[in-house]
Amino acid sequence: MSKWKPLEKMKILGKKYPRIDGAEKVTGRARYTYDQFKEGMLYGAILGSRYPAAKIVKIDDSMVWSLPGVKAVLTDVHPTGRVRYVGEEIAAVAATTPEILGEALRLFRVEYEKLPFTLYLEEAMKDEAPRVFPRRSNVNKPRIREEGNVEQGFAQAEVVLEDTFRTQVQIQTPLESHGSMVYWDGDELIIYDSTQAVHGVREGIAKMLDMPLHKVRVICHHMGGGFGSKLQPGIYTVIAARLAKQANAPVRLMLDRQLEFLTTGNRPDSLSRIKMGAKRDGTITAFFAKTYGTAGIGNGAGVRLPIVYSIPNVRHEHHDVYTNAGAARPFRAPGCPQASFAMEQMMDEMAEKLGMDPLQFRLKNDSNPTRQKEWMIGAERFGWHRRKVTPASDPGPIKRGMGLGASIWWPGGRGTKASMKIYSDGSVEVFCGTQDLGTGTRTHIAAVAAEELGLELKQIKVHIGDSNYPRSGASGGSTTSPSVAPAIKNTAEKARQELGKILAEHWNVSPEAIIFSDGYVIASGEAKQRLSWKEACGLLETDVLEVHGEWSEGLSSSGVAGCQFAEVEVDTDTGKIRVLRIVAVADCGLILDRLTTESQVNGGIIQGISYALFEERLFDPQTGAMVNPNFETYKIVGTMETPEIEVILFDEPERGVIGIGEPPTIPTSGAIANAVYNAIGVRIKSLPMTPDKVLQALANQKA
Amino acid sequence: MKPPPFDYFAPQTLEEVLQLLEQYGDDAKVLAGGQSLIPTMNFRLAQPAVLIDLNGIRELADIQESDEEITVGAMTRQRMLEKSVIIREKTPLIFETIPHIAHVQIRNRGTVGGNLAHADPASELPAVMVTLNATFKLQSLKSERWVSASDFFQGMYMTALQPEEILTEVRIPVQAVTGLYGFEEVARRHGDYALAGVSVLVHLDENQNCEDVRITYFSVGEAPVPAHNAVQFLTGQPLEDEIISEAAELAANNDIDPHDDIHASAKYRRHLAKILTIRALQKAKNRNKPN
Ligand SMILES: Cc1cc2nc3c(=O)[nH]c(=O)nc-3n(C[C@H](O)[C@H](O)[C@H](O)COP(=O)(O)OP(=O)(O)OC[C@H]3O[C@@H](n4cnc5c(N)ncnc54)[C@H](O)[C@@H]3O)c2cc1C
Repeated sequence: MSKWKPLEKMKILGKKYPRIDGAEKVTGRARYTYDQFKEGMLYGAILGSRYPAAKIVKIDDSMVWSLPGVKAVLTDVHPTGRVRYVGEEIAAVAATTPEILGEALRLFRVEYEKLPFTLYLEEAMKDEAPRVFPRRSNVNKPRIREEGNVEQGFAQAEVVLEDTFRTQVQIQTPLESHGSMVYWDGDELIIYDSTQAVHGVREGIAKMLDMPLHKVRVICHHMGGGFGSKLQPGIYTVIAARLAKQANAPVRLMLDRQLEFLTTGNRPDSLSRIKMGAKRDGTITAFFAKTYGTAGIGNGAGVRLPIVYSIPNVRHEHHDVYTNAGAARPFRAPGCPQASFAMEQMMDEMAEKLGMDPLQFRLKNDSNPTRQKEWMIGAERFGWHRRKVTPASDPGPIKRGMGLGASIWWPGGRGTKASMKIYSDGSVEVFCGTQDLGTGTRTHIAAVAAEELGLELKQIKVHIGDSNYPRSGASGGSTTSPSVAPAIKNTAEKARQELGKILAEHWNVSPEAIIFSDGYVIASGEAKQRLSWKEACGLLETDVLEVHGEWSEGLSSSGVAGCQFAEVEVDTDTGKIRVLRIVAVADCGLILDRLTTESQVNGGIIQGISYALFEERLFDPQTGAMVNPNFETYKIVGTMETPEIEVILFDEPERGVIGIGEPPTIPTSGAIANAVYNAIGVRIKSLPMTPDKVLQALANQKA
Repeated sequence: MKPPPFDYFAPQTLEEVLQLLEQYGDDAKVLAGGQSLIPTMNFRLAQPAVLIDLNGIRELADIQESDEEITVGAMTRQRMLEKSVIIREKTPLIFETIPHIAHVQIRNRGTVGGNLAHADPASELPAVMVTLNATFKLQSLKSERWVSASDFFQGMYMTALQPEEILTEVRIPVQAVTGLYGFEEVARRHGDYALAGVSVLVHLDENQNCEDVRITYFSVGEAPVPAHNAVQFLTGQPLEDEIISEAAELAANNDIDPHDDIHASAKYRRHLAKILTIRALQKAKNRNKPN
């Protein structure tokens, strides 16, 4: 088993350093998929279905062809001709300028046979609701999880509470939309894709086009975010490849914002009916939940209840429900924010009923030793003791409150391979078929390699984002760092050993005596020999030393704990909630770079605030079209609504590298909801917590 | 999305602009800051065959003052208003309003004329212009006329402008030093169009009773909405808490006609109008500090 050296001995890891591609990005030199261009390239666009449920009777493209500049058209994009949501791909076009595309899309004459549709979770559950799939009920069979014995658990309980919570659909909304630039090089297909998985896309596309793997290459140098929505091969890529073949020209097809909203995934909504029992001493004895969620025409709307807390007797029944909307895809901590919003409020309700402080109640029911420490650290920093015991006790219409919530995450990551080349002039190149979603992977790779070789970050040239490089998995589930960092360390170790052997021979010492430090290679002990890195590399007999390495045990682990504290201000006249402050504690094992780590926590929290207060997919119930598929009317939290966020990284370097991208987004909405209750004395049980819901809740309380 | 093809003119004089408008009329649109027009063209909600760019007409972009009024050229950027000492000192109501319009980046391009001519019912400036009793100069090749702000705004995105006319100048009476004012709005996020908002301007007589009251709402109707009932009620009364609340209630129930949309329900807008009226009038009242 490998081990990292102790943190005190590290020169780079665990510290703060800027991204190696930061300057490239802020100056606009970094080329994203959106920026890829090739001589003679055409622009592609997809025509999406106008209706949420219809049979495509006929698509007439003759008018499209009559438009000058149109070079390729596809009308057989849809496999069955039976569409189930607005935006579902039915035809496509490629033309010489993007200006032509808008016109071209309007010239398709599509004859639809409209069918009944259903849009909303609770309506789709009714017997009389139109079926999304004719031969299947909209309500899927339950998935049941059972631990212990809930009947007995509730029998032991002295207080039992029941409540219902709802969360909305949230869209991933990466700044760079989904899309590809593709071209054919003979019978080989080169794909620039905005993706979280260059190898996965290569395998997927090869399968979809029935091509051998070696004829498909996928490249992604820089990526404008994905949040889970870019893990899979895209239909748009297949369409682009077909258009490119038809026109015999490169094609760039990036989705416009509307199709991006409709077709590339979302976080499913949820309806959670919860029953929880506890003893007077604060021990939770039983938990029962019946939950529903819609992933549109897809599955995967699970709600990960009871999420964090340790409860001996649990029963959870979940039903996915089909609706006529685009399928869900993984979204930063799938299933968790929904669960956390419900669970953290349930916890607070129970604490109140038992007359316990919410923090004490959690400490009592949280078996994670790390989080036990984190709760105390966070509470101290946040000033939890200043929380008002009586809700809504501020005088005047503007009221403040405090709340908290916990986070958790499971998977580790493994399997990455990498290679390294060291040249006789001292240059170092690392190759790894992972990709950098904006999380900083490129920088982390340079950091690990530099740390191992005793060099500086800028001396390492990192090559990633290409399926020609050694295989690494998809960047999802917070697995990238724990999978990639050990592989890079292993590869660099091997390089060091090889170079060490050469130097040992040169100096006639044992290979163990060779040390790599601060840009020098040193023979420790008696010999007192030393060469600069460059001089040492000059001893290579061939021009280049190439080594291959892979993930190895002992350098990474899984399992994350964390907690968040929120303070809010609620204007009880207008109903507006303002988040004033968030304090987050996150454990992260061995931190690769403090800046990118803090950035992940900040980003997760900002996305959590956005989920709590703003984002919502809205449909026109008459037509089934989404009415806000754009950045003006689909509200995403802005900088002015983003509060002060304090991130406390709880180092546990002995655990090795752990991924932490997802957990920080989990507890934010629940912590805010609890703070709102503390401020105004009523609970908002559905997301987003908009001003009118706040006023309605206050009015209901009065009535 | 990209707009459909159009012809583009970049005239250098007002005369040329007016000639082009005379020639193309309904087929043409003038381009000011482009912050509203270009998005609507990209979404193909507007498809003008001809675009006449006003950005070359220097004389339309300045702010001048005389004793009684301030003159603002139509091509004055919103950001220039925000930074103008004249505006800050002579019409503090406008000064307080500007930061609520979009974001700095948009205000750098967006113009006063474009904002008013666009006549978005959720826009702040139109309501403020009505409150301040501003008048607008509308020019065509053949005519020139002055229209009061309250006559200019006729409905959602509808104004008194004829196809061959443009707005060239806005005249705003200088706010009397004794004028008490207030501006309030609620938007979901900073820079968003308001869910509801109000601007008020009040003059008190020597007995501290309201003698000239102006209250104008935005985002609660098709155009800026004056609060006739509330104004009538307030006139002759002192600005006291109970009276303010009653006036606000009256305005919210009788003066405005908000509707539901995806951002807020009509009911919520009515409620906001009441709250914001109280807050704006309280603000106005609190300025009435003897120096
Ligand atoms: C994200 C965003 C947020 C925004 N938020 C707000 C907000 O909160 N409040 C707000 O008030 N506005 C807001 N706006 C709109 C902004 O203020 C616009 O700049 C303004 O409405 C239009 O001004 P413009 O100079 O850009 O005009 P343009 O977009 O160039 O023109 C708008 C219309 O007016 C016509 N026009 C322009 N000038 C004249 C003229 N002199 N005579 C006759 N017709 C003319 C044009 O032909 C066009 O029809 C926002 C815009 C954006 C993009």
